[in-house]
Amino acid sequence: MNAALEAEGLVKRYGSRTAVQDLSFRVPAGSIYGVLGPNGAGKSSTLRMLVGVLRPTAGRISVLGGAADRETMKRVGYLPEERGLYRGMSARSAIAYLARLKGTSAKIAFKRADQLLTDHGLGKVRRKKIKTMSKGMAQKVQVLGAIAHEPDLIIFDEPFSGLDPVNQRVLEETIRAQAAAGRTILFSTHVMEHAERLCDRILLIAQGQAAFEGTVPEALALAPSVALLETEGDYDLATALAPKGFNIIFDGEEHGNKRWRAKLENGHGSRQLLQACVEAGAPLSLFEPARASLHEAFVALVGDKAAIRVEE
Amino acid sequence: MSAILLVARRDYFAYIGAWGFWISLLTAPLIIAVLLFAPILLARAEPPRVLTIVAERATDADAVKAAFASNALRDARGEISAYLSATAPSLQASAVAAFDAAQTREAAIAAARAVVAQHAAPNALAAFPNPSPRYRIVDPPARDIQALRPYLDGARTLSNGATIYGALNLRRDAAGAPVIEYWSTALNHDEPTTLAHRALRLEMQREALASQGLPPGEAERLQAFDPVIVQFDPRSSGEEGVTLRDRAPSYAALALAFILWSIVFSVANMLLNGMIEEKSNKILDTLLTSVSPIQMLAGKLLGVAAVSATLFLFWGALGGTLLTMAADRASDNIFGQIAAAFLDPRLLVAFFVGFIAGYLMYGAIFLALGSLCESVQEAQTLLGPVALVLAIPMMLITPALDNPNAPIIATASWIPIFTPFLMLIRAPAGLSWIEIAGQGALMFVSVIVILYLASRVFKAGVVDQVSLSSWRGRKAKG
Repeated sequence: MNAALEAEGLVKRYGSRTAVQDLSFRVPAGSIYGVLGPNGAGKSSTLRMLVGVLRPTAGRISVLGGAADRETMKRVGYLPEERGLYRGMSARSAIAYLARLKGTSAKIAFKRADQLLTDHGLGKVRRKKIKTMSKGMAQKVQVLGAIAHEPDLIIFDEPFSGLDPVNQRVLEETIRAQAAAGRTILFSTHVMEHAERLCDRILLIAQGQAAFEGTVPEALALAPSVALLETEGDYDLATALAPKGFNIIFDGEEHGNKRWRAKLENGHGSRQLLQACVEAGAPLSLFEPARASLHEAFVALVGDKAAIRVEE
Repeated sequence: MSAILLVARRDYFAYIGAWGFWISLLTAPLIIAVLLFAPILLARAEPPRVLTIVAERATDADAVKAAFASNALRDARGEISAYLSATAPSLQASAVAAFDAAQTREAAIAAARAVVAQHAAPNALAAFPNPSPRYRIVDPPARDIQALRPYLDGARTLSNGATIYGALNLRRDAAGAPVIEYWSTALNHDEPTTLAHRALRLEMQREALASQGLPPGEAERLQAFDPVIVQFDPRSSGEEGVTLRDRAPSYAALALAFILWSIVFSVANMLLNGMIEEKSNKILDTLLTSVSPIQMLAGKLLGVAAVSATLFLFWGALGGTLLTMAADRASDNIFGQIAAAFLDPRLLVAFFVGFIAGYLMYGAIFLALGSLCESVQEAQTLLGPVALVLAIPMMLITPALDNPNAPIIATASWIPIFTPFLMLIRAPAGLSWIEIAGQGALMFVSVIVILYLASRVFKAGVVDQVSLSSWRGRKAKG
């Protein structure tokens, strides 16, 4: 598959501090690609380099088959992490202005602005000034401003932050719709669930370096599976199964029962765990094999210290 | 439309769409008119100041009272004469003659007014001045100065409720020479002592003449000796001396320099505040994928230049119309002559060239400063030194008016950031072609250099997010 975006050996230093260190990845055309990592991992610096706002200290970037120059950037939509619009502008004017800066004609820009606002439930407020809108509405307007010129590649930096759960869902739908229209989407986030739901491929960054690059299932495969258990009374499951090599952690009490979380590792699967419980005579009231999360994969890849700042 | 024009267009409409712009556009001419006429209106609005005189000798008191009356008469004559010079110059001489022929101040004002009424000049009659005297002399409410003190410090008022502004205590020393004591809480106002001093000096001269057996009235005659002063301009071929018409270009240049300075400073401030607002709105990253920092700088300069052009169009049309009318209809008086001087094409060209150069230099500097600031407070810390530099040409205006070719003025006008203002002030005195070409070239080169340096600073401010608060190290973001 063709690459919409390629980065090779990217480095960004601010004085003596290195924000991004030798980062290489490739975003397939038409895919949804997630750049994940905790705050301060180097995500924004990476994205700002990709759109030409920051000059890399070293490395090479290819965007839509060419250099990350202003002409190529006309085919790229970008939503920065630090968001803002001209407060005195109306929603439709703001969207049309951003589209016109990307080379769209005035007539088409205003037509698309009206259409996008209507499609996203903001048709009635399209002539309202940004300063009179809620933060979430203004953020929606800015997202629409980033896609109004119908770019081939869309880059969103932390697009979900600041949005309530309902609007996060709406934005997820927008991203899916853009991908369905054949566009390539790259977004950064520190919320792993969005990436799990949306991304075809992900790049995990920690301390400016790539910790993982691949598909979501590939990342999940790296995380240990777990099982959730519940025992009646005072039964101590962790002590009972420790001799058999199971790593079981107490996870709290509920309705007088004890909850446990077992990591399935060292060749132990859920079947072996259940069998061990039966053999030990454990008074089980719940046994639930659980799918590992991306966060657990991240922890497995970079360790607790680097992952501690990841908010779920 | 190119990115530069789009940025300029957006900025232009953002400023034009603000209430503040329209308020400035409409109120600035009113404010200028108020500033011009406020001193006259204030002087007219102030009631006469109440003075009282305590004197050892009645003749001293009478001499001082006469001096105050004479002064009030002279003020009224001057005001009426100036008024008629502006409104009905053809009646000025006859009205002043009628004024001079009258016996009392009130009668003199009425006589002058009657002349105007007689010649059916309704425009001149409408606002014919009826000036109050600046001082009203009242009998002292107490017999000596110590007893007067409560009236002077505000503890007591006169029976009609008026407060006494000051008291002149006129006494004689051991040798019989007059001593003037002035008692007042208005410590910086010394006109009453000046008038009293002049009156008593005349009284002393009368006494001296009388002691020599000469008529005391000779003192007035001697004081009336007044040599004629005529000033000539060696550049003029005419035999006539320098008139107001010759001085008018200097006054016009001074006013235009002040207007130029105010406008350059105002629009540069617009750029600074606009830039800070844009930084605080966090919109720069969005724009920078579409517009280069240089395009943004150019667009912003162009946008505010268009705002200035709109202001000039409005004020120029209004001012130009009023000045043309004044120059045409009142060419024989002070207002018409100054109006004609404003319309001198050389002065107007110097003004617009000065504006373009000044705007580009100061605008670029202010934009660059704005790009380094996160808030207005931060900008103010940077603006202090810049404002001081900007104030220098204004400080040089007064000496430049006295001697436009003084070494300090001539030297300062070679400093490109001062050239637009000082060249304008010096223009009526005549500049050599070497100075015009040299200073113009230097200013042009400086505009290029400043624009280049400002674009570098601007780029560092908006792209690399260098700011005052992160001056020691570039801001690193995750």
